[in-house]
Amino acid sequence: MLSLLILVPLIGIVILNLSARAPARRLAFWFALLIFISQILLAACRHPVLWNVEMKQIDTFFKVSLSMDQISFIMLLCIGIVSIASLLVARHTIYDEKELFKFVNLLIITSIGMNGIVLVKDIFTLYIFLEITALASFVLIALEKDRNAIEGSFKYLILSAIATIMLLTSIALLFMVSGSTSFEAIRQALNLANNNIILFAIGLFVCGLAIKGGLVPFHAWVPDAYSSAPAAVSVLLGGIVTKTVGIYTLIRLLIAVFGFDPSLKTILLALGALSIVFGALAAIGQNDMKRMLAYSSISQVGYIILGFGCGTFLGIAGAIFHIFNHSIFKSLLFVNSAAVETRLGTTDMNKMGGLSSKMPITGTTSVIGMLSAAGVPPLAGFWSKLMIIVALWQSGSKTYSFIAIMASVITLAYLLIMQRKVFFGKLSIENENIDEARIGISTASIMLAVIIIGSGVFFPLVFNKFIAPIQELIIR
Amino acid sequence: MSGDYWQIFLTFGFFIILTFVCGLYCMLVSRNIIRAIIGLELLIKAVTLLMILVGYVSGRTSVTQAMVITIIVIEVVVAVVAGGIALRSFRYNDNLDIRGLKRLKG
Repeated sequence: MLSLLILVPLIGIVILNLSARAPARRLAFWFALLIFISQILLAACRHPVLWNVEMKQIDTFFKVSLSMDQISFIMLLCIGIVSIASLLVARHTIYDEKELFKFVNLLIITSIGMNGIVLVKDIFTLYIFLEITALASFVLIALEKDRNAIEGSFKYLILSAIATIMLLTSIALLFMVSGSTSFEAIRQALNLANNNIILFAIGLFVCGLAIKGGLVPFHAWVPDAYSSAPAAVSVLLGGIVTKTVGIYTLIRLLIAVFGFDPSLKTILLALGALSIVFGALAAIGQNDMKRMLAYSSISQVGYIILGFGCGTFLGIAGAIFHIFNHSIFKSLLFVNSAAVETRLGTTDMNKMGGLSSKMPITGTTSVIGMLSAAGVPPLAGFWSKLMIIVALWQSGSKTYSFIAIMASVITLAYLLIMQRKVFFGKLSIENENIDEARIGISTASIMLAVIIIGSGVFFPLVFNKFIAPIQELIIR
Repeated sequence: MSGDYWQIFLTFGFFIILTFVCGLYCMLVSRNIIRAIIGLELLIKAVTLLMILVGYVSGRTSVTQAMVITIIVIEVVVAVVAGGIALRSFRYNDNLDIRGLKRLKG
């Protein structure tokens, strides 16, 4: 069953590309929509009958060992939701049918890579899926062959390749120590042996993933890549790609393989706090809407790492829930920026103002997304931040919880600046004739806003169904 | 540890470090996009050699063989994408200077 999440999209792409004529190109969009909707439904209902179906013949043919647990369900859900939002935005921002076909193909490849990352239990297969995702994202950023996009894509490519080299070196060293590449075997070997080579390998791995996730000393590519990418690609990258590739992988490996070391905890807490403060302060000074959202993304990733660095159940649960929330509200804000960009042709915030009266749906949903990002109750972002801050306080890192609360105020500040410059205030004369965004973009933003409100208001339900089962993974 | 074994280990180690330093130097010093990509390739080659050495040391050459072939395939794809981006950048700037890539700031 699990291998179908990878094989069905793969076979679908091959069949669609066999005849790249107009009917097949039109079919591609609906095929992608169908895949992502079925992925969301499968991950949301989580009925064991569906997930435990055995497929002997496919499994013997496709010899990648996959496994599924509570965190994977949440990630699969996020991947499905954000991919649908990105697909809907692409339909109204990429006008040429051939270009849209290319985008849909690359989007499906990215989702194959991310599904693989979420499901693997072998460190070398993890590397392969990381590379699939990264390669598809380089091409996606440079899809429109825009001058800035080429630059952003090249920066991402170089830094990502260096991260890959770090990961590969680490994989080689871990393979030497344990003689195998599966998570379980490496964990057992690490429990027995403890020397400097292992410490070096773990350090390299964490650094490589920090580059891929865009944590602060390694963040230089994030604003360039996000702000120069086409609108639909920004939704995908900012919402889910870097979080799956960098942050989720870090969480998975530390829980399943490396284990929590006190010194590693200190490093993670420091990295997280640095990311939060730097990202928030840098976001205040931006004039470009997408660039501000990119810095905001760095800051929110800091919260995830900070919560995860506690090492307690509440901290890790908060981190996972914040990944979910971040992927929803950040993709909502990027969808709004795409809506503004299609109507105004620019993302410079100084040329905007008062758009709320002309674009009511975009204005309203962006207020919801912004309040969730700033952590205002009862929206979903509040609960995950609360969990993270309480976990920090309980585990004794009171300074860090203080930093997290203070930075939350800065988050509210820069998001309010964005709202005031873009949606509130006086409408300028050039923008008198703009309309509401196209129906697809509005649908995407309404869908994401409903998810934010729903998971915030029904938080006890969400907590019991999705977050609480994580406990059995951590206490082992 | 027999002498033969130790000699192979040392030879491999020497060349891994040499390739790695060459790649790093190439990436840090040159200001040409193509040379930066070549430096990147050299670094990946060093890691591939390390993988072969690791397979030899741990006595699992068959597994590492498969891994090394996979790494080579992926690295070729990275090189192709990087080359495509370099080509497009050349068409915009009319040169391959890496200092042409500083429009995005802030």
